[in-house]
Amino acid sequence: MADVIEVQDLRKSFPGVEAVRGLDLRVAAGELFGLLGPNGAGKTTTLRMLTTLLPIDAGTAVVAGADVARDPRTVRRRIGYVGQIGGADLPATGRENLLLQGRLYGASRSDARRRADELIEALALGAFVDRRVGTYSGGQRRRLEIALGLAHRPRVLFLDEPTTGLDPQNRANLWDQLRALRSDGTTIVLTTHYLEEADALADRLAIVDAGRVVAEGAPRALKAQLAGDTVTLRPRGDVPAVRTLLDAQPFVRNVVLDGDALRLAVPDGPDALPELLDVLGGAGVELAALTLVEPSLDEVFLRVTGRALRDVA
Amino acid sequence: MSDVGLLWWRKMLETIRQPVWVISGLTTPLLYLLLFAPLLDRLAGSAAFPRGEVLDVFLPGLLALLAFSSGMGAGWGVIAELQTGVVERLRVTPASRFALLFGGVLRDVVAFLVPATIVVLIAVPFGYDPSVPGVLGLLGLLCLVTATTSAWSSALGLIFRDIGGLAAVVTGLQLPLTLLSGVLLPLSLAPGWLRGLAYADPLYYAVQAARALSDGVVDLSRVGVGVLVIGALTVLTLTWATRCYRRVAP
Repeated sequence: MADVIEVQDLRKSFPGVEAVRGLDLRVAAGELFGLLGPNGAGKTTTLRMLTTLLPIDAGTAVVAGADVARDPRTVRRRIGYVGQIGGADLPATGRENLLLQGRLYGASRSDARRRADELIEALALGAFVDRRVGTYSGGQRRRLEIALGLAHRPRVLFLDEPTTGLDPQNRANLWDQLRALRSDGTTIVLTTHYLEEADALADRLAIVDAGRVVAEGAPRALKAQLAGDTVTLRPRGDVPAVRTLLDAQPFVRNVVLDGDALRLAVPDGPDALPELLDVLGGAGVELAALTLVEPSLDEVFLRVTGRALRDVA
Repeated sequence: MSDVGLLWWRKMLETIRQPVWVISGLTTPLLYLLLFAPLLDRLAGSAAFPRGEVLDVFLPGLLALLAFSSGMGAGWGVIAELQTGVVERLRVTPASRFALLFGGVLRDVVAFLVPATIVVLIAVPFGYDPSVPGVLGLLGLLCLVTATTSAWSSALGLIFRDIGGLAAVVTGLQLPLTLLSGVLLPLSLAPGWLRGLAYADPLYYAVQAARALSDGVVDLSRVGVGVLVIGALTVLTLTWATRCYRRVAP
Protein backbone atom coordinates (compact mmCIF):
# COMPACT_ATOMS: atom_id res chain seq x y z
CA MET A 1 0.00 0.00 0.00
CA ALA A 2 1.08 3.58 -0.64
CA ASP A 3 2.83 5.46 2.13
CA VAL A 4 0.78 8.27 3.61
CA ILE A 5 3.65 9.59 5.66
CA GLU A 6 7.27 9.64 4.57
CA VAL A 7 9.75 11.24 6.90
CA GLN A 8 13.46 11.42 6.23
CA ASP A 9 16.19 12.60 8.53
CA LEU A 10 13.87 14.98 10.39
CA ARG A 11 15.60 17.34 12.81
CA LYS A 12 14.54 19.94 15.33
CA SER A 13 16.53 21.79 17.98
CA PHE A 14 15.43 24.15 20.68
CA PRO A 15 17.88 26.35 22.56
CA GLY A 16 20.00 23.87 24.47
CA VAL A 17 18.12 20.73 23.35
CA GLU A 18 18.32 18.60 20.24
CA ALA A 19 14.76 17.29 20.42
CA VAL A 20 14.63 15.34 17.15
CA ARG A 21 17.88 14.17 15.58
CA GLY A 22 17.52 12.42 12.27
CA LEU A 23 14.19 10.66 12.55
CA ASP A 24 12.97 8.41 9.71
CA LEU A 25 9.42 7.12 9.44
CA ARG A 26 7.07 5.53 6.95
CA VAL A 27 3.39 5.00 7.58
CA ALA A 28 1.23 3.12 5.07
CA ALA A 29 -2.34 4.09 4.18
CA GLY A 30 -4.89 2.63 6.56
CA GLU A 31 -2.40 1.81 9.27
CA LEU A 32 -2.81 2.51 12.96
CA PHE A 33 0.71 3.58 13.75
CA GLY A 34 2.14 4.19 17.22
CA LEU A 35 5.07 6.33 18.29
CA LEU A 36 6.19 4.85 21.58
CA GLY A 37 8.77 6.39 23.84
CA PRO A 38 9.37 8.03 27.19
CA ASN A 39 8.49 11.66 27.85
CA GLY A 40 11.06 13.89 26.23
CA ALA A 41 11.94 11.36 23.52
CA GLY A 42 10.81 13.74 20.77
CA LYS A 43 7.42 12.18 19.93
CA THR A 44 5.36 15.30 20.47
CA THR A 45 7.91 17.50 18.72
CA THR A 46 7.79 15.12 15.75
CA LEU A 47 4.01 15.19 15.68
CA ARG A 48 3.98 18.97 15.88
CA MET A 49 6.29 19.18 12.90
CA LEU A 50 4.19 16.73 10.87
CA THR A 51 1.04 18.72 11.62
CA THR A 52 2.59 22.08 10.52
CA LEU A 53 2.57 23.50 14.04
CA LEU A 54 6.33 23.71 14.30
CA PRO A 55 8.82 24.65 11.56
CA ILE A 56 11.16 21.87 10.51
CA ASP A 57 14.89 22.53 11.01
CA ALA A 58 16.15 19.94 8.52
CA GLY A 59 15.02 16.82 6.70
CA THR A 60 11.85 16.22 4.72
CA ALA A 61 8.35 15.19 5.69
CA VAL A 62 5.62 14.35 3.19
CA VAL A 63 2.20 13.90 4.75
CA ALA A 64 -0.90 12.89 2.76
CA GLY A 65 0.88 13.68 -0.49
CA ALA A 66 2.12 17.17 0.37
CA ASP A 67 5.43 18.46 1.65
CA VAL A 68 4.97 19.81 5.16
CA ALA A 69 7.56 22.58 4.85
CA ARG A 70 6.68 23.72 1.34
CA ASP A 71 2.92 23.25 1.26
CA PRO A 72 1.56 23.39 4.81
CA ARG A 73 -1.88 24.58 3.64
CA THR A 74 -2.51 21.40 1.66
CA VAL A 75 -1.28 19.30 4.55
CA ARG A 76 -3.66 21.11 6.91
CA ARG A 77 -6.63 20.39 4.65
CA ARG A 78 -5.85 16.67 4.59
CA ILE A 79 -5.00 15.92 8.20
CA GLY A 80 -6.80 15.97 11.52
CA TYR A 81 -5.03 16.63 14.79
CA VAL A 82 -6.02 15.97 18.37
CA GLY A 83 -3.54 17.65 20.68
CA GLN A 84 -2.42 16.53 24.09
CA ILE A 85 -4.25 19.32 25.90
CA GLY A 86 -7.41 18.99 23.83
CA GLY A 87 -8.42 22.17 22.10
CA ALA A 88 -12.21 22.22 22.37
CA ASP A 89 -13.65 25.65 22.96
CA LEU A 90 -14.90 25.53 26.57
CA PRO A 91 -17.53 28.30 26.56
CA ALA A 92 -19.22 26.83 23.45
CA THR A 93 -21.33 23.67 23.23
CA GLY A 94 -19.97 20.51 21.65
CA ARG A 95 -22.24 20.96 18.65
CA GLU A 96 -21.10 24.55 18.11
CA ASN A 97 -17.51 23.32 18.21
CA LEU A 98 -18.26 20.68 15.58
CA LEU A 99 -20.11 23.10 13.29
CA LEU A 100 -17.36 25.72 13.46
CA GLN A 101 -14.67 23.14 12.83
CA GLY A 102 -16.49 21.82 9.75
CA ARG A 103 -16.98 25.30 8.35
CA LEU A 104 -13.34 26.27 8.91
CA TYR A 105 -12.53 23.39 6.56
CA GLY A 106 -14.84 24.90 3.98
CA ALA A 107 -18.02 22.87 4.48
CA SER A 108 -21.33 24.61 3.82
CA ARG A 109 -23.65 25.19 6.75
CA SER A 110 -25.82 22.19 5.86
CA ASP A 111 -22.86 19.89 5.14
CA ALA A 112 -21.29 20.86 8.45
CA ARG A 113 -24.56 20.12 10.21
CA ARG A 114 -24.87 16.71 8.55
CA ARG A 115 -21.27 15.80 9.36
CA ALA A 116 -21.73 16.91 12.97
CA ASP A 117 -24.73 14.56 13.26
CA GLU A 118 -22.66 11.69 11.88
CA LEU A 119 -19.87 12.32 14.36
CA ILE A 120 -22.28 12.71 17.27
CA GLU A 121 -23.61 9.29 16.37
CA ALA A 122 -20.22 7.67 15.72
CA LEU A 123 -18.58 8.89 18.93
CA ALA A 124 -21.73 8.68 21.07
CA LEU A 125 -21.79 12.37 21.95
CA GLY A 126 -25.58 12.69 21.87
CA ALA A 127 -26.15 12.79 25.62
CA PHE A 128 -24.06 15.91 26.20
CA VAL A 129 -23.30 17.55 22.85
CA ASP A 130 -25.63 20.51 23.42
CA ARG A 131 -24.11 21.36 26.79
CA ARG A 132 -21.13 23.66 27.13
CA VAL A 133 -17.82 21.86 26.88
CA GLY A 134 -16.70 23.35 30.19
CA THR A 135 -19.13 21.00 31.95
CA TYR A 136 -17.84 17.76 30.32
CA SER A 137 -16.00 14.93 32.06
CA GLY A 138 -12.53 14.03 30.82
CA GLY A 139 -13.78 11.14 28.71
CA GLN A 140 -16.60 13.16 27.14
CA ARG A 141 -14.20 15.94 26.24
CA ARG A 142 -11.73 13.55 24.68
CA ARG A 143 -14.45 12.05 22.48
CA LEU A 144 -15.55 15.50 21.34
CA GLU A 145 -11.95 16.43 20.58
CA ILE A 146 -11.50 13.34 18.46
CA ALA A 147 -14.74 14.17 16.65
CA LEU A 148 -13.30 17.67 16.01
CA GLY A 149 -10.21 16.08 14.50
CA LEU A 150 -12.44 14.08 12.16
CA ALA A 151 -14.76 16.92 11.10
CA HIS A 152 -13.44 17.08 7.54
CA ARG A 153 -12.87 13.34 7.02
CA PRO A 154 -9.07 13.67 7.07
CA ARG A 155 -6.88 11.10 5.37
CA VAL A 156 -4.65 10.98 8.42
CA LEU A 157 -5.60 11.57 12.03
CA PHE A 158 -2.80 12.48 14.44
CA LEU A 159 -3.38 12.01 18.16
CA ASP A 160 -0.91 13.13 20.80
CA GLU A 161 -1.14 10.97 23.94
CA PRO A 162 -4.90 10.45 23.41
CA THR A 163 -5.57 8.40 26.53
CA THR A 164 -3.46 10.26 29.06
CA GLY A 165 -5.64 11.14 32.02
CA LEU A 166 -8.48 8.76 31.11
CA ASP A 167 -9.70 6.05 33.46
CA PRO A 168 -9.38 2.42 32.31
CA GLN A 169 -13.01 2.22 31.18
CA ASN A 170 -12.72 5.32 29.00
CA ARG A 171 -9.37 4.21 27.71
CA ALA A 172 -10.81 0.88 26.55
CA ASN A 173 -13.72 2.70 24.88
CA LEU A 174 -11.35 5.02 23.09
CA TRP A 175 -9.28 2.09 21.86
CA ASP A 176 -12.44 0.57 20.37
CA GLN A 177 -13.33 3.83 18.68
CA LEU A 178 -9.85 4.19 17.20
CA ARG A 179 -9.98 0.61 15.91
CA ALA A 180 -13.36 1.30 14.32
CA LEU A 181 -11.93 4.40 12.62
CA ARG A 182 -9.03 2.44 11.31
CA SER A 183 -11.34 -0.15 9.82
CA ASP A 184 -13.14 2.69 8.01
CA GLY A 185 -9.86 3.39 6.26
CA THR A 186 -8.50 6.38 8.20
CA THR A 187 -4.77 6.28 8.77
CA ILE A 188 -4.08 6.96 12.44
CA VAL A 189 -0.83 8.06 14.02
CA LEU A 190 -0.69 8.32 17.78
CA THR A 191 1.97 8.89 20.36
CA THR A 192 1.95 7.11 23.68
CA HIS A 193 4.21 6.29 26.55
CA TYR A 194 2.01 3.37 27.58
CA LEU A 195 3.39 0.04 26.47
CA GLU A 196 0.04 -1.70 26.81
CA GLU A 197 -1.54 0.89 24.59
CA ALA A 198 1.01 0.57 21.82
CA ASP A 199 0.79 -3.20 22.10
CA ALA A 200 -2.99 -3.44 22.08
CA LEU A 201 -3.70 -0.80 19.48
CA ALA A 202 -0.94 -0.31 16.95
CA ASP A 203 -0.57 -2.28 13.71
CA ARG A 204 2.96 -1.03 13.62
CA LEU A 205 4.99 1.10 15.92
CA ALA A 206 8.23 2.98 16.13
CA ILE A 207 10.11 3.13 19.39
CA VAL A 208 11.52 6.64 19.74
CA ASP A 209 14.37 7.42 22.07
CA ALA A 210 16.46 10.59 22.25
CA GLY A 211 15.00 11.95 19.03
CA ARG A 212 15.54 8.88 16.85
CA VAL A 213 13.63 5.77 15.87
CA VAL A 214 15.47 2.90 17.56
CA ALA A 215 13.15 0.08 16.46
CA GLU A 216 10.22 -0.20 14.11
CA GLY A 217 7.73 -2.92 13.21
CA ALA A 218 4.56 -4.72 14.25
CA PRO A 219 4.46 -5.18 18.04
CA ARG A 220 4.50 -8.97 17.65
CA ALA A 221 7.41 -8.90 15.22
CA LEU A 222 9.39 -6.53 17.41
CA LYS A 223 8.91 -8.74 20.41
CA ALA A 224 9.77 -11.87 18.46
CA GLN A 225 12.82 -10.36 16.87
CA LEU A 226 14.22 -8.48 19.82
CA ALA A 227 13.15 -10.40 22.88
CA GLY A 228 11.61 -13.72 21.81
CA ASP A 229 9.02 -15.77 23.70
CA THR A 230 9.89 -17.78 26.75
CA VAL A 231 8.86 -21.43 26.99
CA THR A 232 9.04 -23.20 30.34
CA LEU A 233 8.67 -26.96 30.38
CA ARG A 234 8.97 -29.65 33.03
CA PRO A 235 9.95 -32.98 31.46
CA ARG A 236 9.47 -36.32 33.21
CA GLY A 237 12.68 -38.32 33.51
CA ASP A 238 16.17 -37.31 32.43
CA VAL A 239 16.18 -33.49 32.44
CA PRO A 240 19.86 -32.98 31.37
CA ALA A 241 19.27 -35.25 28.36
CA VAL A 242 16.26 -33.19 27.31
CA ARG A 243 18.36 -30.07 27.73
CA THR A 244 21.02 -31.43 25.38
CA LEU A 245 18.31 -32.34 22.89
CA LEU A 246 16.82 -28.83 23.00
CA ASP A 247 20.22 -27.13 22.78
CA ALA A 248 20.72 -28.86 19.47
CA GLN A 249 17.58 -27.33 17.90
CA PRO A 250 18.33 -24.34 15.64
CA PHE A 251 15.17 -22.38 16.66
CA VAL A 252 15.89 -22.64 20.37
CA ARG A 253 18.06 -20.16 22.28
CA ASN A 254 19.33 -19.87 25.83
CA VAL A 255 18.19 -23.08 27.46
CA VAL A 256 18.41 -22.63 31.22
CA LEU A 257 17.87 -25.23 33.93
CA ASP A 258 15.59 -23.90 36.64
CA GLY A 259 14.99 -26.49 39.40
CA ASP A 260 13.34 -29.42 37.64
CA ALA A 261 12.17 -27.20 34.78
CA LEU A 262 13.84 -25.91 31.63
CA ARG A 263 13.46 -22.36 30.40
CA LEU A 264 14.24 -21.51 26.81
CA ALA A 265 13.72 -18.69 24.32
CA VAL A 266 12.15 -19.07 20.88
CA PRO A 267 11.64 -16.23 18.37
CA ASP A 268 7.93 -16.87 17.86
CA GLY A 269 6.19 -18.94 20.54
CA PRO A 270 2.93 -19.93 18.81
CA ASP A 271 4.92 -20.99 15.75
CA ALA A 272 7.61 -22.81 17.69
CA LEU A 273 5.40 -24.79 20.06
CA PRO A 274 4.20 -27.48 17.60
CA GLU A 275 7.74 -27.95 16.36
CA LEU A 276 9.01 -28.22 19.91
CA LEU A 277 6.37 -30.83 20.75
CA ASP A 278 7.31 -32.81 17.62
CA VAL A 279 10.97 -32.87 18.64
CA LEU A 280 10.16 -33.90 22.20
CA GLY A 281 7.55 -36.47 21.11
CA GLY A 282 10.00 -37.95 18.56
CA ALA A 283 12.55 -38.47 21.33
CA GLY A 284 9.91 -40.04 23.60
CA VAL A 285 10.04 -37.24 26.19
CA GLU A 286 6.90 -36.87 28.31
CA LEU A 287 5.99 -33.47 29.72
CA ALA A 288 4.54 -32.73 33.17
CA ALA A 289 3.97 -29.04 32.39
CA LEU A 290 4.38 -26.57 29.58
CA THR A 291 3.89 -22.79 29.56
CA LEU A 292 4.49 -20.09 27.01
CA VAL A 293 5.12 -16.51 28.07
CA GLU A 294 5.10 -13.75 25.48
CA PRO A 295 7.57 -10.96 26.10
CA SER A 296 6.36 -7.46 26.82
CA LEU A 297 7.33 -4.39 24.87
CA ASP A 298 9.11 -3.36 28.02
CA GLU A 299 11.72 -6.00 27.29
CA VAL A 300 11.94 -4.79 23.72
CA PHE A 301 12.42 -1.26 24.94
CA LEU A 302 15.03 -2.36 27.42
CA ARG A 303 16.86 -4.23 24.68
CA VAL A 304 16.97 -1.33 22.21
CA THR A 305 17.59 1.53 24.62
CA GLY A 306 19.33 -0.15 27.53
CA ARG A 307 16.76 1.34 29.91
CA ALA A 308 13.36 0.26 31.13
CA LEU A 309 10.56 2.47 29.82
CA ARG A 310 8.90 2.51 33.22
CA ASP A 311 12.01 4.03 34.77
CA VAL A 312 12.24 6.90 32.32
CA ALA A 313 8.58 7.56 31.53
CA MET B 1 -12.69 36.24 4.71
CA SER B 2 -15.43 33.82 5.70
CA ASP B 3 -12.95 32.49 8.27
CA VAL B 4 -12.91 35.92 9.89
CA GLY B 5 -16.70 35.89 10.13
CA LEU B 6 -16.77 32.39 11.64
CA LEU B 7 -14.05 33.12 14.18
CA TRP B 8 -15.56 36.50 15.04
CA TRP B 9 -18.89 34.87 15.76
CA ARG B 10 -17.17 32.28 17.96
CA LYS B 11 -15.77 35.08 20.13
CA MET B 12 -19.04 37.05 20.03
CA LEU B 13 -20.97 34.08 21.43
CA GLU B 14 -18.39 33.81 24.19
CA THR B 15 -18.91 37.48 25.08
CA ILE B 16 -22.68 37.41 24.91
CA ARG B 17 -22.70 34.40 27.23
CA GLN B 18 -20.75 36.20 29.90
CA PRO B 19 -23.27 38.84 30.91
CA VAL B 20 -20.80 40.20 33.45
CA TRP B 21 -18.63 41.55 30.65
CA VAL B 22 -21.50 43.03 28.75
CA ILE B 23 -22.61 44.86 31.87
CA SER B 24 -19.14 46.00 32.94
CA GLY B 25 -18.49 47.29 29.41
CA LEU B 26 -21.40 49.66 29.95
CA THR B 27 -21.06 50.54 33.60
CA THR B 28 -17.47 51.82 33.50
CA PRO B 29 -18.15 54.66 31.05
CA LEU B 30 -21.48 55.44 32.68
CA LEU B 31 -19.83 55.71 36.08
CA TYR B 32 -17.29 58.15 34.67
CA LEU B 33 -20.14 60.13 33.21
CA LEU B 34 -22.13 60.21 36.44
CA LEU B 35 -19.44 60.36 39.11
CA PHE B 36 -16.56 62.15 37.40
CA ALA B 37 -17.97 64.49 34.75
CA PRO B 38 -19.87 66.63 37.33
CA LEU B 39 -16.50 67.49 38.96
CA LEU B 40 -15.52 69.19 35.75
CA ASP B 41 -18.52 71.47 35.64
CA ARG B 42 -16.78 74.00 37.87
CA LEU B 43 -14.00 74.22 35.32
CA ALA B 44 -16.34 75.26 32.55
CA GLY B 45 -15.14 78.43 30.88
CA SER B 46 -11.56 77.94 32.16
CA ALA B 47 -8.54 77.38 29.94
CA ALA B 48 -9.35 73.68 29.75
CA PHE B 49 -12.87 74.13 28.48
CA PRO B 50 -12.85 77.41 26.59
CA ARG B 51 -16.22 76.87 24.96
CA GLY B 52 -17.87 76.21 28.24
CA GLU B 53 -19.30 72.81 27.38
CA VAL B 54 -17.49 70.35 29.57
CA LEU B 55 -18.94 67.22 28.00
CA ASP B 56 -17.85 68.24 24.51
CA VAL B 57 -14.27 67.97 25.70
CA PHE B 58 -14.65 65.19 28.23
CA LEU B 59 -16.73 62.71 26.29
CA PRO B 60 -14.36 62.17 23.33
CA GLY B 61 -11.61 61.49 25.88
CA LEU B 62 -13.83 59.07 27.77
CA LEU B 63 -14.61 57.24 24.52
CA ALA B 64 -10.89 57.03 23.72
CA LEU B 65 -10.29 55.54 27.15
CA LEU B 66 -13.07 53.02 26.52
CA ALA B 67 -11.59 52.18 23.10
CA PHE B 68 -8.17 51.59 24.61
CA SER B 69 -9.39 49.40 27.46
CA SER B 70 -11.76 47.37 25.22
CA GLY B 71 -8.80 45.91 23.34
CA MET B 72 -6.47 45.52 26.27
CA GLY B 73 -7.88 42.26 27.62
CA ALA B 74 -7.32 40.31 24.40
CA GLY B 75 -4.02 38.85 25.57
CA TRP B 76 -5.65 37.24 28.61
CA GLY B 77 -8.10 35.46 26.33
CA VAL B 78 -5.28 34.31 24.06
CA ILE B 79 -3.37 32.84 27.00
CA ALA B 80 -6.47 30.98 28.19
CA GLU B 81 -6.85 29.54 24.68
CA LEU B 82 -3.19 28.58 24.54
CA GLN B 83 -3.65 26.69 27.78
CA THR B 84 -6.78 24.83 26.66
CA GLY B 85 -5.23 23.98 23.28
CA VAL B 86 -7.73 26.01 21.27
CA VAL B 87 -5.01 28.06 19.56
CA GLU B 88 -3.18 24.87 18.61
CA ARG B 89 -6.33 23.22 17.24
CA LEU B 90 -7.21 26.27 15.15
CA ARG B 91 -3.65 26.54 13.86
CA VAL B 92 -3.92 23.05 12.36
CA THR B 93 -7.03 24.05 10.39
CA PRO B 94 -6.61 25.76 7.00
CA ALA B 95 -8.03 29.03 8.44
CA SER B 96 -5.73 31.95 7.64
CA ARG B 97 -3.48 33.08 10.48
CA PHE B 98 -4.86 36.59 10.02
CA ALA B 99 -8.38 35.27 10.63
CA LEU B 100 -7.24 33.55 13.85
CA LEU B 101 -6.16 36.95 15.11
CA PHE B 102 -8.79 39.15 13.53
CA GLY B 103 -11.84 37.21 14.74
CA GLY B 104 -10.93 38.23 18.28
CA VAL B 105 -9.93 41.78 17.29
CA LEU B 106 -13.26 42.31 15.59
CA ARG B 107 -15.10 41.06 18.67
CA ASP B 108 -13.23 43.63 20.76
CA VAL B 109 -14.16 46.34 18.27
CA VAL B 110 -17.84 45.42 18.62
CA ALA B 111 -17.45 45.25 22.38
CA PHE B 112 -16.22 48.87 22.19
CA LEU B 113 -18.68 50.15 19.63
CA VAL B 114 -21.89 49.02 21.33
CA PRO B 115 -21.33 50.63 24.75
CA ALA B 116 -19.66 53.66 23.11
CA THR B 117 -22.77 54.32 21.03
CA ILE B 118 -24.99 53.93 24.07
CA VAL B 119 -22.81 56.33 26.08
CA VAL B 120 -22.99 58.94 23.32
CA LEU B 121 -26.77 58.65 23.20
CA ILE B 122 -27.06 58.94 26.97
CA ALA B 123 -24.71 61.97 27.09
CA VAL B 124 -26.74 64.03 24.63
CA PRO B 125 -29.54 64.94 27.05
CA PHE B 126 -26.84 65.90 29.61
CA GLY B 127 -25.51 68.54 27.25
CA TYR B 128 -23.18 66.72 24.88
CA ASP B 129 -23.63 68.43 21.54
CA PRO B 130 -21.42 66.86 18.89
CA SER B 131 -21.40 67.12 15.11
CA VAL B 132 -23.15 64.00 13.83
CA PRO B 133 -20.78 63.14 10.95
CA GLY B 134 -17.95 64.10 13.29
CA VAL B 135 -19.02 61.65 15.98
CA LEU B 136 -19.33 58.88 13.38
CA GLY B 137 -15.78 59.61 12.26
CA LEU B 138 -14.67 59.67 15.89
CA LEU B 139 -16.15 56.24 16.54
CA GLY B 140 -14.49 54.93 13.37
CA LEU B 141 -11.10 56.23 14.44
CA LEU B 142 -11.49 54.83 17.95
CA CYS B 143 -12.39 51.41 16.49
CA LEU B 144 -8.85 51.46 15.08
CA VAL B 145 -7.54 52.23 18.57
CA THR B 146 -9.37 49.16 19.90
CA ALA B 147 -8.03 47.05 17.02
CA THR B 148 -4.50 48.23 17.78
CA THR B 149 -4.62 47.49 21.50
CA SER B 150 -6.36 44.15 20.86
CA ALA B 151 -3.72 43.05 18.32
CA TRP B 152 -0.89 44.28 20.53
CA SER B 153 -2.24 42.53 23.62
CA SER B 154 -2.84 39.30 21.63
CA ALA B 155 0.70 39.35 20.30
CA LEU B 156 2.10 39.83 23.81
CA GLY B 157 -0.10 36.96 25.04
CA LEU B 158 1.30 34.67 22.33
CA ILE B 159 4.85 35.70 23.18
CA PHE B 160 4.68 35.66 26.99
CA ARG B 161 2.30 32.70 27.26
CA ASP B 162 1.79 33.48 30.93
CA ILE B 163 -0.43 35.99 32.63
CA GLY B 164 2.29 37.43 34.86
CA GLY B 165 4.50 38.75 32.06
CA LEU B 166 1.56 39.98 30.04
CA ALA B 167 -0.02 41.78 32.98
CA ALA B 168 3.27 43.47 33.89
CA VAL B 169 3.71 44.95 30.42
CA VAL B 170 0.09 45.80 29.59
CA THR B 171 -0.98 47.30 32.89
CA GLY B 172 2.45 48.87 33.30
CA LEU B 173 1.94 50.81 30.08
CA GLN B 174 -1.78 51.45 30.49
CA LEU B 175 -1.53 54.14 33.15
CA PRO B 176 1.21 56.32 31.58
CA LEU B 177 -0.40 55.98 28.16
CA THR B 178 -3.83 57.07 29.38
CA LEU B 179 -2.53 59.82 31.67
CA LEU B 180 -0.31 61.31 28.97
CA SER B 181 -3.06 61.20 26.38
CA GLY B 182 -5.12 63.78 28.24
CA VAL B 183 -8.27 61.68 28.20
CA LEU B 184 -9.63 62.93 31.49
CA LEU B 185 -8.38 66.51 31.44
CA PRO B 186 -6.96 68.20 28.34
CA LEU B 187 -3.21 68.59 28.25
CA SER B 188 -3.65 72.28 27.57
CA LEU B 189 -3.58 72.44 31.39
CA ALA B 190 -0.22 70.68 31.49
CA PRO B 191 3.22 72.22 31.99
CA GLY B 192 5.50 72.23 28.98
CA TRP B 193 7.55 69.15 29.86
CA LEU B 194 4.41 67.04 30.33
CA ARG B 195 3.08 68.17 26.96
CA GLY B 196 6.41 67.20 25.44
CA LEU B 197 6.09 63.69 26.85
CA ALA B 198 2.59 63.39 25.47
CA TYR B 199 3.94 63.64 21.93
CA ALA B 200 5.44 60.20 22.46
CA ASP B 201 2.05 58.72 23.31
CA PRO B 202 0.05 57.47 20.30
CA LEU B 203 -3.15 57.68 22.32
CA TYR B 204 -2.58 61.44 22.66
CA TYR B 205 -3.04 61.87 18.91
CA ALA B 206 -6.20 59.75 18.97
CA VAL B 207 -7.67 61.89 21.75
CA GLN B 208 -6.75 65.15 19.96
CA ALA B 209 -8.36 63.92 16.74
CA ALA B 210 -11.42 62.64 18.63
CA ARG B 211 -12.02 66.05 20.22
CA ALA B 212 -11.68 67.83 16.87
CA LEU B 213 -14.02 65.37 15.16
CA SER B 214 -16.56 65.70 17.93
CA ASP B 215 -16.60 69.46 17.28
CA GLY B 216 -17.10 68.79 13.60
CA VAL B 217 -13.63 70.12 12.76
CA VAL B 218 -11.54 68.19 10.25
CA ASP B 219 -8.08 69.70 10.36
CA LEU B 220 -4.72 68.41 9.29
CA SER B 221 -2.90 69.08 12.55
CA ARG B 222 -5.22 67.05 14.75
CA VAL B 223 -7.48 64.79 12.64
CA GLY B 224 -4.97 64.28 9.83
CA VAL B 225 -2.12 63.41 12.20
CA GLY B 226 -4.39 61.29 14.42
CA VAL B 227 -5.69 59.18 11.53
CA LEU B 228 -2.17 58.77 10.19
CA VAL B 229 -0.66 57.70 13.52
CA ILE B 230 -3.48 55.36 14.51
CA GLY B 231 -3.87 53.97 10.96
CA ALA B 232 -0.17 53.16 10.75
CA LEU B 233 -0.21 51.58 14.20
CA THR B 234 -3.23 49.46 13.28
CA VAL B 235 -1.47 48.05 10.21
CA LEU B 236 1.74 47.52 12.17
CA THR B 237 0.21 45.73 15.16
CA LEU B 238 -2.09 43.56 13.02
CA THR B 239 0.86 42.45 10.89
CA TRP B 240 2.98 41.75 13.92
CA ALA B 241 0.27 39.78 15.75
CA THR B 242 -0.52 37.74 12.62
CA ARG B 243 3.15 36.77 12.45
CA CYS B 244 2.96 35.72 16.09
CA TYR B 245 0.08 33.38 15.20
CA ARG B 246 2.19 31.90 12.41
CA ARG B 247 4.95 30.97 14.81
CA VAL B 248 3.70 30.10 18.25
CA ALA B 249 6.40 28.71 20.50
CA PRO B 250 5.82 25.07 21.48
